[in-house]
Amino acid sequence: MATTASGTDYFTIEVIQQALAAMGDEMFTVLRRTAHSPLIFETLDCAVGATDANGEIVAMGNGITGFLGTLDAAVRDVITKYAKPGNIAEGDIYILNTPYEGGGSHLSDVSLIMPVFDAGRIVGYVVNKAHWTEVGGMDPGSVTTKSNEIYQEGLHFPNVRLCERGRMNDAVIEMIRANVRMPDMTIGDMWAGISALRMGETRLKTLIAKYGRVAVEDAMVKLLDYGEAMARRELKKLPKGTFRAKDYLDNDGLGNGPFELMCAITITDDEFICDFTGSHPQVTGSINATFVNLCSRARALFRAVTTPHVPTNGGMYRPLKVICPPGTIVSAMPPAACSTYFESAIMALDIMWKAVAQVIPERLSAGNLASTCQLSIGGRNPKTGDMWMMFGPFVGGWGAERDHDGGRGQFSAANGQTFNVPVEITEARYGIEVEQYTFHTESGGAGEFRGGNGVHLDYRIVADTATLGTGIGRYRYPPWGVAGGRDGTCSYAKVIHRDGSEEIYGKESRIPLVKGDLVRLSTATGAGYGDPRKRSRARIESDLKNGYITAEEARQTYGIEGLDVSAQ
Amino acid sequence: MIRVATDIGGTFTDLAWCEFNPATGTVGPVHDWKCDTTPGDLAAGVMDVLSQAKISIPDVGFFAHGTTAVINAISERNGAKVGLITTKGFRDVLEIARGNRPDLFNFRFRKPPPFVERYLRREVDERANTRGEVARPVDRKGLAELVAFFKSEQVEALAVAFLHAYANPTNELAAIEMIRELWPEIPVVASHQTTREWREYERTNTAVLSAYVAPVCRRYLAGLETRLNTAGLKKSPFIMQSNGGVTTVDRARANPIAIIESGPASGVLGAAALAQAMGRPQTIALDIGGTTAKCSLIDGGKPTITTDYYIEANRENPGYPVKTPVVDIIEIGTGGGSIARVDEGGKLHVGPQSAGAIPGPVVYGRGGTRPTVTDAHVLTGRIDSTKVLGREGRADMAAVRAAYTELGRAIGAGPEETAEGVIRIADANMENALKLVSINRGYDPRDFSLVAFGGGGPLHAATLAAALNIPEVIIPANAAVFSAWGMLQTDVRSDHVRTATMRLDSVDPAEAGRLFADLEAEAQAGFTSEPEARVVLERAADMRYRGQEHTVRVTLPSGTVDTSQILDWAERFRQAHDRLYRIRLEVEVEVVTLHLTAYQPIAKPKLIERKAPPASSDPARTGKRQVRLGGVTVEVTVYDRTRLVPGMRLDGPAIAEERGTVIIIPPGHKAEVDGFANLVIRTGG
Repeated sequence: MATTASGTDYFTIEVIQQALAAMGDEMFTVLRRTAHSPLIFETLDCAVGATDANGEIVAMGNGITGFLGTLDAAVRDVITKYAKPGNIAEGDIYILNTPYEGGGSHLSDVSLIMPVFDAGRIVGYVVNKAHWTEVGGMDPGSVTTKSNEIYQEGLHFPNVRLCERGRMNDAVIEMIRANVRMPDMTIGDMWAGISALRMGETRLKTLIAKYGRVAVEDAMVKLLDYGEAMARRELKKLPKGTFRAKDYLDNDGLGNGPFELMCAITITDDEFICDFTGSHPQVTGSINATFVNLCSRARALFRAVTTPHVPTNGGMYRPLKVICPPGTIVSAMPPAACSTYFESAIMALDIMWKAVAQVIPERLSAGNLASTCQLSIGGRNPKTGDMWMMFGPFVGGWGAERDHDGGRGQFSAANGQTFNVPVEITEARYGIEVEQYTFHTESGGAGEFRGGNGVHLDYRIVADTATLGTGIGRYRYPPWGVAGGRDGTCSYAKVIHRDGSEEIYGKESRIPLVKGDLVRLSTATGAGYGDPRKRSRARIESDLKNGYITAEEARQTYGIEGLDVSAQ
Repeated sequence: MIRVATDIGGTFTDLAWCEFNPATGTVGPVHDWKCDTTPGDLAAGVMDVLSQAKISIPDVGFFAHGTTAVINAISERNGAKVGLITTKGFRDVLEIARGNRPDLFNFRFRKPPPFVERYLRREVDERANTRGEVARPVDRKGLAELVAFFKSEQVEALAVAFLHAYANPTNELAAIEMIRELWPEIPVVASHQTTREWREYERTNTAVLSAYVAPVCRRYLAGLETRLNTAGLKKSPFIMQSNGGVTTVDRARANPIAIIESGPASGVLGAAALAQAMGRPQTIALDIGGTTAKCSLIDGGKPTITTDYYIEANRENPGYPVKTPVVDIIEIGTGGGSIARVDEGGKLHVGPQSAGAIPGPVVYGRGGTRPTVTDAHVLTGRIDSTKVLGREGRADMAAVRAAYTELGRAIGAGPEETAEGVIRIADANMENALKLVSINRGYDPRDFSLVAFGGGGPLHAATLAAALNIPEVIIPANAAVFSAWGMLQTDVRSDHVRTATMRLDSVDPAEAGRLFADLEAEAQAGFTSEPEARVVLERAADMRYRGQEHTVRVTLPSGTVDTSQILDWAERFRQAHDRLYRIRLEVEVEVVTLHLTAYQPIAKPKLIERKAPPASSDPARTGKRQVRLGGVTVEVTVYDRTRLVPGMRLDGPAIAEERGTVIIIPPGHKAEVDGFANLVIRTGG
């Protein structure tokens, strides 16, 4: 039977690999269930994992697609920065959130890293990264569209020891407490991350105690090779050539824009190269993404077209190469503002997708909302003085496929196991009432297969005053259709005042609201696939009966007359 | 008088019964019988099994029944055409669901379709607010129009789901009352009748599914009752619920979704009852069947109940939430029929694809060609190839060997070696599931006994227990019909839930006490049709640190709620949180949801222990055979389980065979038949 060089048998390797996967799931559950930030426990804006001693991912539990490249980079940053032998000790925990290195994204996403030792030797690392709701900075909730340099965006942890040989570094904790608006929540998130690390450390040590260090290390090596083999196998099946796309980012939150993004994907038998050369230089506003985030998005796209159902490990990315000169909007350098980096990062994913959607239709749908469609509404409780802050991503429409309509009301591809906040919980927590949460029928997304409907979500302000922030992408450039399918609709936020006056917003901060104002979020309807005139009559009748399209759209876009079905 | 329990499973309908003398309280031994399940007409199988076992139905004084009718209607999608009525502005909540995509890198993700198409989801003007106040009453004219519309669409059941009905059901009650006036024969389920927890999507979906199965369930229960009455049954049957207790037929009709997981629940209940009788409050139940392995942890003699339950959910599918109380079971796709395969990257997978009943494992000779876990047991000698159920003496061993030779080629191993490897991988899957219910929730397996049943449980249990340092494995005497046996041990039970957020630093104890008093009154009212028995009430609450979202269920004391009791609540929560997550915070504690469980105990057969002196197991010996265990082939002594009597001892390596399952006692393990006729294996862990 097949054994490894050190003599571990095939089945033992398989059993250890299963235990590693279970460990990833378990750390993820602990982090999610003990966290204090809604962005962690509801939105699952977090990831957990374990690496081998070199920082290659061997287990990962993640809730969103965006953190794929960040955990290993964080571990490698610890390995590099503390390279001197003996510098990394058992019981250490490192904390970092700098966007420009170490797998950082924006200051709100904080990584915690812990080495795991066996008999004085590092066997691997456990690591997690999560969006803490408050890390200080110029605006409540820390995420802002108003910053123009990183110093305005919150506390910066430059890869320092939060815990040294098992002893918590109280100075760091006190600094956090003093610099954030909701210290209990922030410190609660910190403990949730530590809890997950400790769980992972115990599990890895148990595994070593049972099978021996050599067997566990062999299992890690084999797992990485397996990931690589699976990815290469699928890579060979992809169409070869260079495929290009470009698109525009609307705005940087400070009134500048649009900004062009360019991508060329070259697929060969052995490599998948994503080249962003020519993209717009980094900008003044906070939408800059750093190179490591660009790599994360490239990993997500590569996974989607090769191995969407193989559990994550570092080996599968070996054929992937990302090229981008430093200093662009997707490879920003210090001190670029990065607070709303995710909008550029999502668009980077979206244009890679756009470049190959037509040639890999078996894996990819047409364009979708491609934005987290963030809204933040906050205020103070007049009785208690407590601050409340509703903040989160919202659902919209996905693009159609070559043989199927697009998904209605789901989170963007940058999200994933992200849960919307129930209306009943929103109303209990915040000074707002929800008046509708429904699919809209704004015209767009037509095709032989239709893009999925976006939603209308109406928030009535019942607090005396409140402040609105919007971080909405694709409010000028709609989701893109494929093969004759029409583009989708644009996302936007509309404020309707008591006197009936209205304003429309894309990316904006600090919009004042008063009691009685209505905030309507309209999220994009996804793009269509194929010529609308080819859509079957039965489907159009069903669309009308269910109120997914209007009678006018049925006539004008689909060319259907004399329908006797009335919309319900 | 006879006490009877019948349990319909996917393949078999099981029966367990015993004689019971109400005057003396004495019970006879439990007997069992099995016959084929009759998919087209499930009640027919129940009548079959009763008649084959020659049960005199007029003598039956207690009849408990578990059925797959509800889960079948959902999984086969043959429930009712449902109309849904929601608060104005929210009809799409059912389809938007929670917006999540567990299949992260599938960029052609499709969420599971809702059970009600959009044109049958209609809205009515009404509103309650977050404080539970009615802001606007139901628009009666609008509702009447909707009823007329649904009549014209010939829907077969209605669901009503209004915002904040968990806090105040007034508008939902008004709506269903009006619907009943306008359309008396239509089954209608309101969301607050299924759960009083917040989260509108989950509650709406639960109401919709309950309505979806309502007509099927009504027909099924009516048919069963009629046949049993015709056969002379004097007392109305009890229906097994997912919460581990039984309920009356009327209450099962009112909220049929509550019986969705009745079979698995009664297996866990059986394990709890058995362990209780044996003086083992800490147990883990393990039930391995053809396609899945299920496990559940029993802490302090009581099964854990959860409302965090989904159907059809997996790594790729968000599934559908059902907020009904269900025994907390972790289920994984590894069972006897699970298929082993090697993928293109050389990795071995066992399950979740299953050979099912048709074609079944290769050894069944029904056309199966892909190697399964059962085939591995046969090839390694764990299962005697001459005794495979239904293939006695005719098992096609050449085909089994060929399937494993082929599989082994991909990984460079011989057929027997590969078969044992497949069992190891299956064991690893099951071990991870057992960890999920124990270690991952802060329990030390060394404090537990493992009660194993189902066709595959006894084959894997001792190995799994040893891996997890569980010191003892209990293989019950009625392992083959254990769910039905469990149902004989049940009480009438109802669960009452109320979301009511309260900060413990500032809560008024009297207010908290009043909420529990309301729940207790509600529970008592549900039992008025059975006035003779007392009702036992137990309190619990879901709590969290202020600022957290997820909660931990904590058992609470009874009695007057006062300031010192509130302090005790907070302390109980802190301890539970620390056990689960190893973090204890001095942050304020908050109650989110109150739970009240009401039991009405039913006199049940008392398990009688027949102590016996140690005895030789030689009389039960049937021979020896070569079995591959732990990488080597060893000679194993084989016993006939039916001839093993209390006091007999056996040393591993040994195998005890009975119809439907095989018990493995690995080398170094010792086993003994106890006074309840269980086979108890000591793993030395």
